[in-house]
Formats: sequence, C-alpha cells, structure tokens
Amino acid sequence: MKYLPLVWKNAWRNRRRTLLTISSLAVSLCLLGVMMALYYALFIGGQPTKSQTRRVVVRHKVSLTFPMPLHYREKIAQVPGVEEVMVMQWFGGVYKDSRDQRNFFARMAAEADKLFRIYQDYRISDAEKEAFIRDPAGCVVNRVLAERHGFRVGDRILIKGDIFPFDLDLTVRGIYSSDELDDETLWFNWKYLENMLRNSPRLAAGTFLVLVRSEEEVPAVCRAIDAMFANSEAPTKSEGEFTFGMSFLSFLGNVKVILMSICFAVTFTVLLITANTMAMSVRERVREVGILRTLGFQKTAVVGLILGESALIAIAGGAIGVLLAQGLCFVIRQGPLIVQQTKTLAIEPPVLAALMVVSLLVGVLSSVAPAVSAARQNIVDALRFTD
Amino acid sequence: MTDDVVIQARRLTKEYIRDEFHIVALKDVDLDVRRGEYLALMGPSGSGKSTLLHLIAAMDRPTSGAIRVLGADLAAMPDPEMARWRNRHIGFVFQTFNLIPVLTALENVELPLKLTHLKKGERMEHAVTALKLVGLGDRLHHYPRQLSGGQEQRVAIARAIVTDPDIILCDEPTGNLDARSANEVLELLRQLNRDYGKTIVMVTHDPHAARFASHIRYIDKGELLPEGRKPEDWS
Amino acid sequence: MILPLSYNLRNLAVRRTTTLMTALGIGLTVAVLAASFALVDGLRLALEASGHPLHVLVTRKGADSELVSNFERRVFNDLKFKPGIARNAKGEPLASLEVVTAINLASIEFPEGANVTVRGVTPIGVELRDDARLVEGRWFTPGRREATVGRLIAQRYPEARPGRKLRFGRGEWEVVGVYDSPQMARNSEILVDLNQVAADFGREEVLSSALLRATDEVAHQALINELEADPRLNVRARSEKEYYAQQTSSGDLIRYLGTVVAAIMAVGSCFAAMNTMYAAVARRSREIGTLRVLGYSRAAILASFLLESLLLAALGGVLGILLVLPVNGLTTGIGSFTTFTEIAFQLRITPQTMAASLVFALLMGGAGGLLPAWQAARKEILTALREG
Ligand SMILES: Nc1ncnc2c1ncn2[C@@H]1O[C@H](COP(=O)(O)OP(=O)(O)O)[C@@H](O)[C@H]1O
Ligand SMILES: [Mg+2]
Repeated sequence: MKYLPLVWKNAWRNRRRTLLTISSLAVSLCLLGVMMALYYALFIGGQPTKSQTRRVVVRHKVSLTFPMPLHYREKIAQVPGVEEVMVMQWFGGVYKDSRDQRNFFARMAAEADKLFRIYQDYRISDAEKEAFIRDPAGCVVNRVLAERHGFRVGDRILIKGDIFPFDLDLTVRGIYSSDELDDETLWFNWKYLENMLRNSPRLAAGTFLVLVRSEEEVPAVCRAIDAMFANSEAPTKSEGEFTFGMSFLSFLGNVKVILMSICFAVTFTVLLITANTMAMSVRERVREVGILRTLGFQKTAVVGLILGESALIAIAGGAIGVLLAQGLCFVIRQGPLIVQQTKTLAIEPPVLAALMVVSLLVGVLSSVAPAVSAARQNIVDALRFTD
Repeated sequence: MTDDVVIQARRLTKEYIRDEFHIVALKDVDLDVRRGEYLALMGPSGSGKSTLLHLIAAMDRPTSGAIRVLGADLAAMPDPEMARWRNRHIGFVFQTFNLIPVLTALENVELPLKLTHLKKGERMEHAVTALKLVGLGDRLHHYPRQLSGGQEQRVAIARAIVTDPDIILCDEPTGNLDARSANEVLELLRQLNRDYGKTIVMVTHDPHAARFASHIRYIDKGELLPEGRKPEDWS
Repeated sequence: MILPLSYNLRNLAVRRTTTLMTALGIGLTVAVLAASFALVDGLRLALEASGHPLHVLVTRKGADSELVSNFERRVFNDLKFKPGIARNAKGEPLASLEVVTAINLASIEFPEGANVTVRGVTPIGVELRDDARLVEGRWFTPGRREATVGRLIAQRYPEARPGRKLRFGRGEWEVVGVYDSPQMARNSEILVDLNQVAADFGREEVLSSALLRATDEVAHQALINELEADPRLNVRARSEKEYYAQQTSSGDLIRYLGTVVAAIMAVGSCFAAMNTMYAAVARRSREIGTLRVLGYSRAAILASFLLESLLLAALGGVLGILLVLPVNGLTTGIGSFTTFTEIAFQLRITPQTMAASLVFALLMGGAGGLLPAWQAARKEILTALREG
C-alpha cells in the first residue's frame, strides 16, 4: 500500500486523459447498469408486489383472446384456498384519437363489488367505491391515468367499441391509487357488458382474477383449476398475476437477446476504452519504467503499479456510473408503463455487485498486456526509448 | 538600409514571463546580415542564440525592438501571413532534424512544396533535385528511422532548401552528429552558401563548425557582443 | 494547402493498436444503432412487401384489426357482387370471407409461447393468395381438419411442422403443407378451412373480414370509396397494403431503445476518441511545430487533425457495419399491436442504414476530434517544438 500515493500520482499525471476516461467509463457503465438492472428485473430477480402474490389469473389455455364460459366462476370459487373470483374482460376500443400513444390505456370490465376486495392495494374513498358499485355505467380510474388526461369524478368518458359491437358511455365515479403499483387502468362495471350483451354468446369471461387465501396455496390452486377444466370445451391456464404479466414480454421482440447483446457490446466498449487509455499512458512512461527498474523496482512492482492505476480509474468510472444509473432508473420509473418491472426499476444489490466486478475486471484485464510488456523491457532499451 | 542587408535587428528584445520567473533571453540586439553572408552564432548554453534564430524565422514575436528580414517587418506581420512568409523565404534546420517519421525522405522534402502552386510532377522533381544535391538521391523512399543521423540531417537540409529560400537558419545542425557526419553537413552548408549564394545563419557550440562560416559573432547573457569580442570565460 | 491524406493514414497505421481500439469502440456503438435499425427495417420491409396492390380488406367499422372485427356473413353476401371485383375463370367473384383467430404456440425463440394467427379461408381465399407457392406438402382440403402453414411458422414453431398435429378449437388439426409467399407477413399465418374453424369457435355467422380483389387500380379505389360510403354495410374498407403498413409501429420501441442506447454509447466513444486524438496531438507536438515552421498555417493543422479523427471514425463505422452484417437475414419475431399475434421477419441491413451508421461514426469522430485539433492548431510554434 506504500505505492498508493505513486499510483494516485500516476493516475493524475495526465488529468485530462484520466478525466475523459473516467467520464467515458461512467457513461458506458451507467448504460450497462441500466441494461443489467432491466435484465435482472425481467428475468432473474423481479418480484411480485405484496398483494400480487395472492392473485391468480385464469385464462383460456390456447389464447388470451379466446373467452371462457361465465359459469366457470362458480366452479373456481369451489376450489379450496380460493377466497374470491372476479370476471374480467378486456374491452379494447378506441379513446379519442387512437394514433396518440397516450390514448392507449387498459380498459377493463370487472365485477364492481369484487374489484376492491381482490385488489387490496387499491385505495379509494368509501363514498366513491359505493358510487361505482351502484352505477352500472360507472368506472374508476387510476390516479396517474386520471392526472394525465384530467379525468375528474363525474366526468363522462366515451370509448368506441372495436372488439365489441357497441360503444361505452361511462361516468367516472372514483379515482383510485395504489400502495404498490399504479397500473394506469380504467375499470368499468361488468353490468355494462351484461346489459349490452344480454343473451349474446359474446357475454363471456376474458379472464378470471382469483384471490387466493395465502401465497403458499397459489401453485396448488392453479393446478386444481387447470385440472378441473382440462377436458372441457375451454381448457384453462392459471398462473400468478406477476408471471402472467411476463407473458406479454415476447410481444416487445426478443428482449432477452436484445438486452444481452447490448450488455455485451457495452462491456466490450468499456474494455476497449480503458485498454486504450492504459496503453497510451504506459507507452508514454517506458523511460520512467526504465528509471524505476534502475532504482531497483522489481518487475512485479512495475506491473502492480500499472494494474493498480488502471483499476483505480475503472472503479472510479464504475462508481460514478452506478450513481448515474440510479438516476436513469429513476427517470425510467417515471416513464410510461410498458411492463410492471420498469415501474420499480432500480440498481439492486446483485446488479451493483456485478457492475463493480465488471469495473474491476475491466481495469485489470485492460492493462495486463501493456504492464507486462513494459516491465519486461530491457532497462537500457527502456531508458533510450523515444516514442 | 541597403538592399544588401537581408536581416536587420534593432534593439531587439525578447523576454519570457512565466509564473514568477522573468527571463530576458535577448536584450537590445542590433544585427545586420548581408546577402550571401554565412554567419556563425556562438555562445554559452542559454545565452539566447536559439531565441534570436526563432525571431529571424518569424517563429515568434519580439517583446520590443524591430526585426526586418528581406524587407518585411516581422513584428507587425499578421499570423497567417507569417506562415506563408516562412514557407517562401526561410529554410530552417534543427538540431534534432524533426523529420516526420511517417513520411519518406522524398515526402518529407516535398512537404513545404505542397504549400506552393507547384504541380505534383514539379514538386517531385524539385524534391528529387534537392535530395540529390544533399547526396541522398538513392534514399528517396527511405523512412527517417531507416537513415543514419547524418542522412536524416541532410534530408532536413534538403527540406530547408527545396523551396529555394533566401535564408537558411540552422540551430546547432551538427549537435547530434558524429564528427564525420557533421563534416558532411558542414560541407553541404558551405556549398549552399558558396555555390548557391544562400544567406546562412548557423548557431553552433562547436568551434570547428564555426570555422566553416565567413563571420563569427558571440552572444552572452542575451547580448550580442561586438564583432571580434568573445564572452569573458570563453575557452 | 492541406496536408496529404497519406500523412494521416500513416499516422493512424503507426499507432495501430490505439487506432484499432478506438475505432472498434466506435464500431460497437455503430453496430448497436445499425442492429436496431436492422430490426426496424426488417419489420418494415416485411410489411411493405405484404398486401396485394389490388386487394381490399373489409372489416367492421371501428375495428382497427381483423382480430377484433366482427364481420357478418350477411354483410359479405351483400358486398361480394359489388361492381369492380375481379372474377376467376369460373366466373365467381374473387371475394373471400375469412375468420381470424390466434393460438399460442411454443417457438424456438420463445419457449413460453407466442401468439400465432390462424386464418380460416375458402378455396377462393387460397386463390386470392395465388402468389404463395407450396414448398412442402399440399393445401388443406376443404371440409377436413387440416392446416397449411406459412414458411416462417414451420421454421419457428416445431409444433407446426408438416405431419404434426395442432390442438385448438374442438380438436386436432393436421399440418399438411407449407407455403412461401413473397408477402412476408403472410408467412406468419396458419391457413385452415373457413367452415371448419368457424364451427369450432361458434362463429358461423360472425366472422372477421373479407378480402376482395379489384379488377384494376381505378376500380380498387372506387370499391373502397363505395364500401366506406354505404351506411347499410357499416364496414371499414382499406387497401390491404395500407393495413400492413400501419403495423410497423411495433418496431417503435426497439427503434427508441436502440437510438437511446447508441446515443449514450456515443458519448463514451466520443470521449475515447478525444483521448486518442489528444494523445496524437501531444505525441506529434514537435511535428506540429515543424510543420508550422515549414509554413503550414494553423488552419491546415486544424484540418489535418480533424481529418485524422474523421478517418479514425470512418474506420470505426466500417468495422461496426462489418460487425453487424452477420445479423442480416436472421429471423426473429415481434408482436403486432394490430393483430395481437407474432409477425416473423428477417433483419435487414439496408444501404441507408450503412450510410446512417457511417454518418453517425463521423459525427463521433468530429465531436471527439474537434477540441484536440483545436488545441493542436492553437499551439505556439516554439512551445510545440519544445514539447514532445
Ligand atoms: N519559452 C520559453 N519560456 C521561458 N524561458 C525560455 C523560453 N525559451 C527560452 N527561454 C529562456 O531564454 C533563455 C535563452 O534561451 P535559448 O535562446 O534557447 O538559449 P540558447 O542560446 O541555448 O539557444 C534561456 O534562459 C531559456 O531558459
Ligand atoms: Mg538553443
């Protein structure tokens, strides 16, 4: 450690270069951090929210677009461990100008009296809740969505039907928020569908949302439900709400491969940047290495000095990169809801550790070659070296 | 000032102010150099010889005093013009040659001609002629690192004369050379002065080198000594 | 009045390690951008190549896609004899009533499964797809539970290869053939008999859409106008090409991600290029001084170093394009927000992408090289000569 001051001085010798390298590393590692955080959140460590762990989505086994008979509801309710079953239907439709991305939000029909029992994280005043349950043409809107569009209680919202052969004329009866995740959804009363589709075969369930007594019972409940309908007209697929959300991911393209490719490209770039800096700074110092060796420094000490310098720079870049990545994650959290995971994106400890390991490895790997070759050089040649 | 005087300095002064240091590198130098003269400038290290040469070459501006070279007032010349002027009128030879390592001998010599209106063919012709003149007609395509020090310096001289400048300025041209190479270079400079009428100002440390010149002047502590006088402790 | 290009090239060659490392950094950045463009362009080209110029797609009014459209048989019977619709050799109008639904299949790329379009058509519907060529097996037989699948379906979904059986609706469907259509989006569909599949899903009367072929271009537009204007039909008619073209928005997110990532990487690469060029300026300080002594102006020095940085970046751009070229032609899939099913397509590196990549690289080179070149030009001759 007595060499630390020397390492420090060496790193600061060409201030501009060191600063440029550190900034360059910081920017790249920030990007790497966010990509790794995304990968981690999506494929490794993503966690369902607390209330989500007890919710199960039941859908048609073949495709989400196929409906299931409504009478499944009563059968599902019989399954041990099931506390509540709610019928849901994706309405789709067109709100105002469909070309504006902001007008594309989830519009779901659900049984009004059950909605707030199943979504235990939803917060709404009792008065608004009662008003929603009472009004067959009422709807409740998530706070974030309401703020974006300026919806207030009492407002009318018109939605043109596309999947369904009728339009919705809804009245906002309440604005809800969530303790856990603002899902930017509009829920309207199931009775609306019932009234419009009386006696039509179209009156069916898109999905059933099931509240299970405890998290531990979820797998058993899923298995029991699927087994019950395995040989019927509409076989089902049941899974936790969180897992269900993940099934939409492939919609965005091959996210796994895309994220991995980006991580790979960025890591390699970082390696190149550092290696380049170290190669330049070692090259300028060949003569000095000769002097050090004349003074009696061992080859290993010379290698150590150079590796240390590079590691110092890489770790500084990594640390700033992590801070920047935290900032970028914050920005992403404010962004639109694409998948649930982006709403809680952060640099989790495993990602942080991985980033620091990458930084350190980059620091060491990038300077091994120039360090060893500088140390190996014949002292006399080194002293005479001109660039 | 007669036509004959190509370099004329009056009360020429150059000071360097850096941080707390204040160095007077040249003090009130008066100097006249006539066309066709071969002047050797001698003096101890740090006496201001290079500084004087740099001012003559329009590489730097004096702090005060006047410097006219070939009739041009260098102190008043704007920057871009200085570059053109140097290219046309001055050939400069460095102690450390300063060839461009990635260019061949021929390309190094051709370099100053790229700033003229000459066509590629003419440039090549001139460059080859210059290299032949310095005795390197057979090394046209060698890179600097493939040449000996003496050869490198001769390439540098070829580069200095290829534009056919009126004045050649040499800053310790033999300082980095062994005796034999040094003699070759000095012979070459003498030939340029005698046969081609070039005005040469050469800074040197070496009394042997100075003997090739037609005059010797001494500089001591920034002052140009009168003709014939040497610094007190000069050997 | 500028320094020769070979001077810069040789200097880059002399510092080849640094040059290569910097260029490769720029190259990787360029590659990320080019790869995201390749995805977006591949999707766009696949969709642009889809749709017959004389075809009109008719759905229920208000339906953005076939999947959400409820199109009644009654309406079809009303419109299939409209003037302007071409007829086949037997004199039947080339109007195809179709039903579209989606099933979930496990693919090689997404083992958890992706949605795939199943389309029920009549023999007329197959006739309308006359540009599709059977590459394996045969067309399904009307009245049987058979399926003929698009080339990309067979390639990507092991369950949908000839000889295998697909389970959906009320039973199994045997895959009897594979077709290849120049209309790329069509190759991501499974074709089955209309009446069979409609019966399975209880959609005998309410189907999805009609596909019509107009006799010529004028009739094409006239047909669209007439169908749209008829309040009794209450349908939306549009050219099939337009229908596919609107689906390119699926690529927006990838384009956005690619651009943002490349932009951030560009900042890093730019700093790296700056480092390299500053080092070049420092190392060649004496050279700069010498050039100035020879009469080169500050502007010439500035231009020369800037040029060198641009050359370095151009090399990076070329490397980046070379790096990304192998992805050209790879097949991948993305969800369509219009059909809610997967469209498979091939990544395409277009000449425009290459040009854009090169320009992007040059921008990095220019931004990274400007300050160092400026520093080089600003140097006083004597300072320059003493350094280095
Ligand atoms: N750029 C500079 N900054 C500060 N001092 C300088 C500079 N150039 C020369 N000097 C000083 O000016 C004096 C004369 O230098 P110089 O002309 O190079 O001497 P020499 O006779 O050895 O060629 C010396 O003391 C030197 O230190
Ligand atoms: Mg000197």
